[in-house]
Amino acid sequence: MAGTTKTKPFFTRRRIVLFSVLLALIVLAVAMIATRPSQDALVGCISEELRESAGAKYSETYLNFGILNVARGRDIRSGSPETYLGAFGQIFDANDGAASAVANISLWMPSLIKGTGITISLTVVSVLVGVVLALFLALGKMSKILPIKWFCSGYIFFFRGTPLLMQLYFVYYGLPLISSALAINNRFMAAFIAFALNSGAYVAELIRAALQSIDKGQYEAAKSLGLSYAQTMGLVIVPQSIRRLIPPVANEFIMVIKDASLVSLIALTDLSRATQTIMNNTFSVLVYVPAIVLYLVITAVFTKIFNKLEQRYSVYQ
Amino acid sequence: MSLIRTESVYKSFGELEVLRGITTTVEQGEVVCIIGPSGAGKSTFLRSLNQLEEITSGKIFIDEQLFLHKENGVLVERISASEHKRLLLEMGMVFQSFNLFPHMTVMDNVITAPTRVKKVPRDEAVADAIEILRQVGLEDKHDAYPSKLSGGQMQRVAIARSLAMHPKIMLFDEPTSALDPELVGEVLSVMKKLAESGMTMLVVTHEMGFAREAADRVLFMCDGIIAEESEPNELFSNPKNPRTRQFLNSVL
Repeated sequence: MAGTTKTKPFFTRRRIVLFSVLLALIVLAVAMIATRPSQDALVGCISEELRESAGAKYSETYLNFGILNVARGRDIRSGSPETYLGAFGQIFDANDGAASAVANISLWMPSLIKGTGITISLTVVSVLVGVVLALFLALGKMSKILPIKWFCSGYIFFFRGTPLLMQLYFVYYGLPLISSALAINNRFMAAFIAFALNSGAYVAELIRAALQSIDKGQYEAAKSLGLSYAQTMGLVIVPQSIRRLIPPVANEFIMVIKDASLVSLIALTDLSRATQTIMNNTFSVLVYVPAIVLYLVITAVFTKIFNKLEQRYSVYQ
Repeated sequence: MSLIRTESVYKSFGELEVLRGITTTVEQGEVVCIIGPSGAGKSTFLRSLNQLEEITSGKIFIDEQLFLHKENGVLVERISASEHKRLLLEMGMVFQSFNLFPHMTVMDNVITAPTRVKKVPRDEAVADAIEILRQVGLEDKHDAYPSKLSGGQMQRVAIARSLAMHPKIMLFDEPTSALDPELVGEVLSVMKKLAESGMTMLVVTHEMGFAREAADRVLFMCDGIIAEESEPNELFSNPKNPRTRQFLNSVL
């Protein structure tokens, strides 16, 4: 590789644009924080509005998120929620319009982000464990030892042939009924087990296809050099398969990000369930906007990561 | 002393009999070329010596030891597993399609088997590999990946990779058939140098010039048998078997 490495300048045009945008956002955020209205002003604002309509009796909630100060109260007479947004020292009555949208979204963000965390962590750990499981399943299915071959083929057939939702139900609701010792009380754990077992079956077929796509001559060369089966696989076949595996595994990964919404049904709050909860409480269809954006951002980030991985493993081509 | 001896080796793929009784001997230091029309069983014979193909019947002796004895697909006798492995390592193989490991550099291709199979310390293996790569004329390509090499260079790396295991016999399975014509020469000259250094070689080839120049003995295979064998001058200028004559007329 000597002589082929080209040093790239750190400040490429794309990076300059990116840094400028980031800088502008930071300046804006600092300005908003610096000039935000005080908590008292917000309380005062709400109190006044509500006091006018409902006399002295009202309930209210105040939330403070730093950049955007959002206050929320409930109109006692009509029972409908009201949102107040303060930025740049101004206070808006934010029951409608763009200010309302920003205020509402910033109110929802913490629970949406929390849901996103569950979605991402569930996907990452499930697929990672699934890939390791899948490697053994794939080698097992290709094994010449019949019991191993049958077990691995049966496993893959079973988990690909039944719905993931049913597997999830079985792990969370079914196992405790068989024996209380099998009960998995942690919802995340139950979801992780079901997803990893399922993902393992799917990825096993991807791995098998990748391993079998390696030229027969590679096995012959390894054999003629005296490499054992384990060495042939570990040093020759698997490393070459990894690059071919990255695109289909990336695909599986992106499928699982969205399949993760099934965990709503065992009451684990992922991004979809967080969205639905907000929707149920506020009757605001607006909540779908940040939810969709978050899903797209996750997908885009992981696509980028997998592309980088593919490039790294393509170095010899 | 014979390094390879076979007695009536038969091999069939289902109904098709590819080898129909091959009996031959390769002495130490001898260079034997196998020529013949395609489908004659040349490659199958070579590959059955180092167990890339399972023979149906016959005996194979490697280094004067009974390596394998089968009758009608049933194993009659085979030496102990450890001896079997050791004898396999006495045979290096060079393939038509190179079969280099594409994800490894030239150096890693050459040192993987010595370090992993023979457990040679890495620095010793590297020193040895440097010497072998110099012999095949690739001393400046240690860090290149195979995809950056020409076909001739790839085949020379493949030869170096086999030599790094220091085998007693080198098996060449049509080593120049996949090469562009202008790259054939560099591979053949490496093989000639190897022959001159005393290496025992069994070469399946379509390069009649190489067979004539470098071989001690030429086997003409046809329809799964050795139809004729003799010294190259004799075989090329005075073929006895009509099939040999016909074949030589069509290729020369």
